[in-house]
Amino acid sequence: STKPGSDSLFGVLLLSLALAGAQALTPSHHLSLSDVGRLQNLLNQPYDDLESAYYSVVGLTKLGAAVPDPAEVCQFLKSQLDPGSVDSLFFAAETSKAISGCEIPVSNETRDILLAAVSEDSSMSQIHRAVGALSSLGLPLASQEVVGALTALKRGIGPITASRLSLQAELGGILEEIEDLTARLDDLGGVYLQFEEGLEATGLFVAAAYSLSDHVDMELPLKEDQVIQLVNSIFSKKSWDSLSEAFSVASAAAALSNNRFHVPVVVSAQGPATVSRNQPTLQLLVTDVMSQPLASASVLVESAYALASKSTVLNQAPFTHNNGVFELNFMSSKPASGYYQFTIGVTGDSRLVANHIELKVKVSTEVAVTNMDLSVVDKDQSIGTKTTRVQYPSKAKSSFTADSHQNFAMSFQLVDVNNEQELTPHQTFVRLHNQKTGQEVVFVAEPDSKNLYKFELDTAERKSEFDSMSGTYSLYLMVGDATLENPILWNVADVILKFAEEEAPVAVQPKTLYVPKPEIQHLFREPEKKPPTVVSNTFTALVLSPLLLLLILWFKLGANISNFSFSPSTILFHLGHAAMLGLMYVYWTNLNMFQTLKYLAIIGGITFLAGNRMLAQKAVKR
Amino acid sequence: MAAFTAVGQADRFGSLLSKKRTGMKRTRYWTLLDCSVLVLLSLASMLHGAMADGKTLVLLDNLNIKDTHSIFFRSLADRGFDLAFKTADDPSLSLIKYGQFLYDHLIIFAPSVEDFGGNINLETITSFIDGGGNVLIAASSDIGDPLRELGSECGIEFDEEKTAVIDHHNYDVSDPGEHTLIVADPENLLKAATIVGKPTSKPVLFKGVGMVADPDNPLVLDILTGSSTSYSYFPDRPISQYPHAVGKNTLLIAGLQARNNARVVFSGSLDFFSDAFFNSAVQKARPGSQRHEQTGNLELAVSLSRWVFKEAGVLRVGAVTHHPVGETAPPAAYTVTDLVEYSIVIEMLSEGRWVPFDGDDIQLEFVRIDPFVRTYLKKNGGKYSVQFKLPDVYGVFQFKVDYNRLGYTHLYSSTQVSVRPLQHTQYERFIPSAFPYYASAFSMMTGLFVFSVVFLHMREKEKSD
Repeated sequence: STKPGSDSLFGVLLLSLALAGAQALTPSHHLSLSDVGRLQNLLNQPYDDLESAYYSVVGLTKLGAAVPDPAEVCQFLKSQLDPGSVDSLFFAAETSKAISGCEIPVSNETRDILLAAVSEDSSMSQIHRAVGALSSLGLPLASQEVVGALTALKRGIGPITASRLSLQAELGGILEEIEDLTARLDDLGGVYLQFEEGLEATGLFVAAAYSLSDHVDMELPLKEDQVIQLVNSIFSKKSWDSLSEAFSVASAAAALSNNRFHVPVVVSAQGPATVSRNQPTLQLLVTDVMSQPLASASVLVESAYALASKSTVLNQAPFTHNNGVFELNFMSSKPASGYYQFTIGVTGDSRLVANHIELKVKVSTEVAVTNMDLSVVDKDQSIGTKTTRVQYPSKAKSSFTADSHQNFAMSFQLVDVNNEQELTPHQTFVRLHNQKTGQEVVFVAEPDSKNLYKFELDTAERKSEFDSMSGTYSLYLMVGDATLENPILWNVADVILKFAEEEAPVAVQPKTLYVPKPEIQHLFREPEKKPPTVVSNTFTALVLSPLLLLLILWFKLGANISNFSFSPSTILFHLGHAAMLGLMYVYWTNLNMFQTLKYLAIIGGITFLAGNRMLAQKAVKR
Repeated sequence: MAAFTAVGQADRFGSLLSKKRTGMKRTRYWTLLDCSVLVLLSLASMLHGAMADGKTLVLLDNLNIKDTHSIFFRSLADRGFDLAFKTADDPSLSLIKYGQFLYDHLIIFAPSVEDFGGNINLETITSFIDGGGNVLIAASSDIGDPLRELGSECGIEFDEEKTAVIDHHNYDVSDPGEHTLIVADPENLLKAATIVGKPTSKPVLFKGVGMVADPDNPLVLDILTGSSTSYSYFPDRPISQYPHAVGKNTLLIAGLQARNNARVVFSGSLDFFSDAFFNSAVQKARPGSQRHEQTGNLELAVSLSRWVFKEAGVLRVGAVTHHPVGETAPPAAYTVTDLVEYSIVIEMLSEGRWVPFDGDDIQLEFVRIDPFVRTYLKKNGGKYSVQFKLPDVYGVFQFKVDYNRLGYTHLYSSTQVSVRPLQHTQYERFIPSAFPYYASAFSMMTGLFVFSVVFLHMREKEKSD
């Protein structure tokens, strides 16, 4: 059953949500003060030609920065000027205009060259530069002629040339041209609007369009969303590639922060958009795209509601202006911690664009852990449990031991330090960190209906998450929330977990993919053990003894070689015989069979012939 | 999962490879005739080294990202990459044409893409990786399905859309309010200088979606992890189920080097690469934290891009030689227990040139099905060499260098040689225990000789005596 009051509340809410939808587009990019500084640094580079001098000097004046050493710049312009070139005249004239007290001498021929450039035969940029030079040099020109020339060239007008439209003539018709060009802008995701030619073209277009609209005193045919999309696309790039790109951004920034029709507002919180008991005021900076404060503005909270409960907390509350900062003491309305959606209106100037801003404001608080009780509970409950209370931030003096028949239990409450209410922060994790292996296991602690957090660790059931690694674990409580100023990381106690099976846990395979493998030394076969040499020596002697015996017996029997005749065949036969026996030895040590057979054939042949002859001689003798 | 095989490589460099193959065939022939050795080089690493600085397709959510991330893209362009920027839903997109890859590298800076345009889809991207292409992917809390699926293919599980990595202890002072602008300490970086650059003290800013690695995929590299207090969940909803990633398991940046050396890097944060984060100062919101004037994002992003696009950590094998100690040429076959010297030239790509690689943990294996010897190679001038004694086992062996280290391409070289047993003349000739046998044989021979002399030339005494 809804009461009429809550109905109307819902109505307001729906309305504000609808408004939020309609006004969702606010500038998401602008030049912060440090961006402006970097842009200035980039523009403030030393230059060595007229074009760079133009970008640098004019760009700096657009940003409102002082041009260093104008006299030297003037000298540089005069020395570099080529009186016969329209481009050179344009750059010099525009630059000299930007620094006061520098006059470029003009001759009649120069004037004629410039005037001649304003014709239907010249290109758009030539006309632009000629006209720019003429007007900057303070020379008269026929406006109607310029418009005529431009109209003739209108076909194929590009965005770059459009930027040159800031002329001193009746240009109402050319304003329509801008509408056509706007239609050519690419919409990127509804956030960005830019020419496909790039940032430089977009920046120059914006600068030129606003200067034209100021000149003819007519509002540009741009919708508010389109202006914001242009702002986003021009200022999203924070790092500029070239001097001309930086110049175009500076020109666009100058045009968007100072023109007669559209001034986009950038509202940002000073520091984070957070209030707390220590920092009760919400501080807003209201600036233009160059982060210059809009002093004339007044800021109002149109409505504010809590995101969690959707209840409205503020309505039509004004900010006070204090030293360039808009302040509101939000804590005075005693908001609960959480997020609040603010709809903020900036008024005070009809030119303001994007002056209804949605802002998410955070109310933060501090948390305290109370009633932290630790215990080890037997599963069969036969032994009464003994609980130990631990105070934040100290650690329990003794460690807890839980084996597979026990549960480790922990209970605590989280309260708001400021109003003693119970809190349920986003992160309430219990982390168990193995001191030896560095392994960490994290559990989520959940509150019961009374917001009492209970955490129970069933040692047997959770075995797998710990890889059954028994050991000492440090128990940490982690409490954190975006609305808490003091996140808690508390080493509550040491817990010794003993898992049931002490079977050697399967060693967790570390990522061994990228480490050297263990070295391998080949194990060579051990040579077999040999019997003692005494035995073999003895037997060698025994084996040799029959030969000795033979010689002794022969000697006794009177063996002799008296019949030996020194004929060649005899000597050859015996040498051959000895060589064959020697060959057997060499075969054993060095040769293979084929080599041996070869040698044997030679020696054997000779020996055979010699032996045959010797025996024949012997037979004759007898 | 990411079982990328080197087969894909063959498709890509079909012509090149076939040339190599015929060349190799000739070598093998020659090998058989001349009984020389067959040298297999790591083809993939060679080809890839030559390919660095190639054509790169950049897919963006919208073209404005080109401006907001201009420093990163400029650093790529300055290093010689040919970048083609397209929106991810451009209907003319195409990665493969007539079986050829149109690009060498792919950058996907389009977190929220729901469907790629043209003929790019999950299959073409996976086959691009299978074919050796390198991919850099940046997601954000607006992550769409195609990127989540691509992550799953590579062993990386992204958290759901609208979730963010949250760390209430390590968020930046400029955090807009949800503690999702995280300051990641350099200690949480992977310890691999080729991937993350030189060690630095500058923390890194991160804002985006969390990932976890598939525990079954050993190829996934945890390049940057969250701290113990971080987790990944919806910032605006109370935690009702166990978060997808908790503590150090939360991956902020993950990488993968597939088995074909294709490299993939996933960043949970697109902002990580943005000009704004590159130029930002960084300081943890915790009281008393040190302020750093600049984040380490630029250095890390550049190192990551150098690694992922194969400018760093690319190795190749040069000349491989082996011979017995004291000789210069390899023999037809080694004999067991020979003392052998093996040397290999290993080069690394550095600034576009091949320079000698400097590593102290390169191992040589002498393998017959299983390794018999595994020993470290020592740097010796421009090459790595080692002397070792062959095992007393004969058969067909390979000298194998299989160097797989964190951050480097997989280097593999194998050279086949045969090892034969001792010839009969190479055995020990004079064994003391066998002296009786030798002595009996020699005494027999001596006896035979003496006997033959005496028998033939003895004058018998007169019978009359």
